Amino acid sequence: MEMKKVPLTKQKWFQVLFWILFIIVAWEVGASVVAVTKRTPENVMPHLYQILAAAFSTKPVSSGMSATMVVLTSARATLLRAFGGFLLGAALGFVFALLMQMSKAVEKMIFPYLMLIQLIPVLGLAPIVLAITGDINKSRIIIAAILSFYPVANNTLAGFKSVSKERYELMATYAAKKYQIYGKVLIPAASPYFFTGLKIAAPLAVTASILVDTLQGDGGLGCMLSQSLKHAMSIYVFWLIVFFSAFVGIFSTYLISFIEFITSPAKRAAWNGRSLEKKHRRAAMKAARKEYRKEKEDGRDLISQTCSENKA
Amino acid sequence: MANAVMERSAQTMDVESKEVEIRVDHLGVTFQDNEGNDVQALTNVNLTVHKGEFVSLLGPSGCGKTTLLRCVADLQEPTEGEIKVGGKTPREIRMAQKFGFVFQQPVLFDWRTVKKNVELPLEMMYQTKERRSKRADEMLEMVGLTNFANHYPGQLSGGMQQRVNIARALGIRPDILLMDEPFSALDEFTKEKLHEDLLRIWSKTNKTILFVTHNIQEAVFLSDRVCVLSPHPGRLSAIVDITLPRPRTLDMRETPEFNELVRQVRDSFEGGSL
Ligand SMILES: Nc1ncnc2c1ncn2[C@@H]1O[C@H](COP(=O)(O)OP(=O)(O)OP(=O)(O)O)[C@@H](O)[C@H]1O
Ligand SMILES: [Mg+2]
Repeated sequence: MEMKKVPLTKQKWFQVLFWILFIIVAWEVGASVVAVTKRTPENVMPHLYQILAAAFSTKPVSSGMSATMVVLTSARATLLRAFGGFLLGAALGFVFALLMQMSKAVEKMIFPYLMLIQLIPVLGLAPIVLAITGDINKSRIIIAAILSFYPVANNTLAGFKSVSKERYELMATYAAKKYQIYGKVLIPAASPYFFTGLKIAAPLAVTASILVDTLQGDGGLGCMLSQSLKHAMSIYVFWLIVFFSAFVGIFSTYLISFIEFITSPAKRAAWNGRSLEKKHRRAAMKAARKEYRKEKEDGRDLISQTCSENKA
Repeated sequence: MANAVMERSAQTMDVESKEVEIRVDHLGVTFQDNEGNDVQALTNVNLTVHKGEFVSLLGPSGCGKTTLLRCVADLQEPTEGEIKVGGKTPREIRMAQKFGFVFQQPVLFDWRTVKKNVELPLEMMYQTKERRSKRADEMLEMVGLTNFANHYPGQLSGGMQQRVNIARALGIRPDILLMDEPFSALDEFTKEKLHEDLLRIWSKTNKTILFVTHNIQEAVFLSDRVCVLSPHPGRLSAIVDITLPRPRTLDMRETPEFNELVRQVRDSFEGGSL
């Protein structure tokens, strides 16, 4: 029995490991170069172990808090605002997509201008929003919401549009009511698109939140980041924030994938099928290897037999 | 029940042709192609289908079979002529949920399990959960998919998906069943079984069936009448009465009468149109 083995380079864990190693190596090469060519290498590209050391050091860097504590406390404020904005933007995005789907007139009126939102630089928007709301916290939530809004609205609408004519016609033969078509066909069909929108929006909301922090002060990751860059505190706070926000951005996307996985039975079934298939494949491979070994041994017997026969 | 089956098999066409169920009157459908030219999909089609009758629409690809079926189901607006179903407009009948439509392609919802797909139209009829579940189980058993009730459509073969499609249409017990080449994607064995199932259900429930196919044997075996359509432009070129007795059994396909009817249908087709 011949079993096809999945090559190492095509296995997921290998790919992940490869990229992590690649980044580490590239970073360290860069850091070594920077260390000999620049006067203050830690401002440009410190070694990874230096960053790690800063993360675990208990030495206070600002008002009695260690670097990690500074990052985590300010992260709380920033991430809460990002999360609030994300929820608001996603909810509005979904509702607007629904409105555009329900009425051609609304779609004609809103859709061409949706993209404009994306074209306005957030940073330019920040002072205006602050002036309007008069509250730093609210203004940041709104900016995160604005950025989350577009990808969710756009993707969800694409999801609604993806429903084929045949599906509408099938529902027509059942004399389905409008709300039934939305509830049983349009919204479930748009659900993967909606989640794609969320996956794009989540890191955007985090980035926007941090960026606006740098402008307006009042705590938060961005605020610490700019202070650290101005050498008001250890530069390693900056590096910790860089890695932390990268991690949060990636993690947010995976978290949404996970939520999608939990809430979609069809996805789960497909995954179960795949993992079952993998299990079967592994078992089959094991059996094949066993057989191969046996054959080899038998083969050896055969060879020694023929040898002795020849001799005889 | 058994009595009804007996009665049914004793019936002949003449006794049956009392009540008109579907009347197609001078129907014409014209589409526009990309250059803006008119394409006549159907011209001057006149057809009367009686209540409880099994009528097949037979013809080569592109002769307008699907278009005719869609007009009856109110999915397509006729360009000329009109259709009446039980004296009412197709729209009224559609809104009364009296049509069961089996599309040529199985239109399944990939986020619903096989069973939930079959239950979908029953949800539209506000049936209780228990009734829906029971009915879906019955239908899946009929099409031999009981073991796949909790699978998702993406995990089924094309033929299995088509069987879900059929189970779903029959599940709602429609008065009028419109089937667009429902069995053409199936293997011979499954097809034969479903032929028998369909005839059994039909004889028990007094449904009117309009059945599209391009298979002559299938049309002759199942139908009371075979309507032969010809292309360019799509039109009704002949109607052949199938006088085989009912209930039909698979071995009837070997009889000379059967072959004679097949020949007759084929002749009417070649002589009239191509
Ligand atoms: N929506 C449409 N727009 C333009 N032309 C169409 C449309 N639907 C059908 N037609 C044309 O009408 C004619 C009949 O099509 P129809 O689908 O009814 O054929 P059919 O008999 O069902 O064929 P098949 O056996 O291949 O399914 C074809 O020439 C087709 O090109
Ligand atoms: Mg067709």
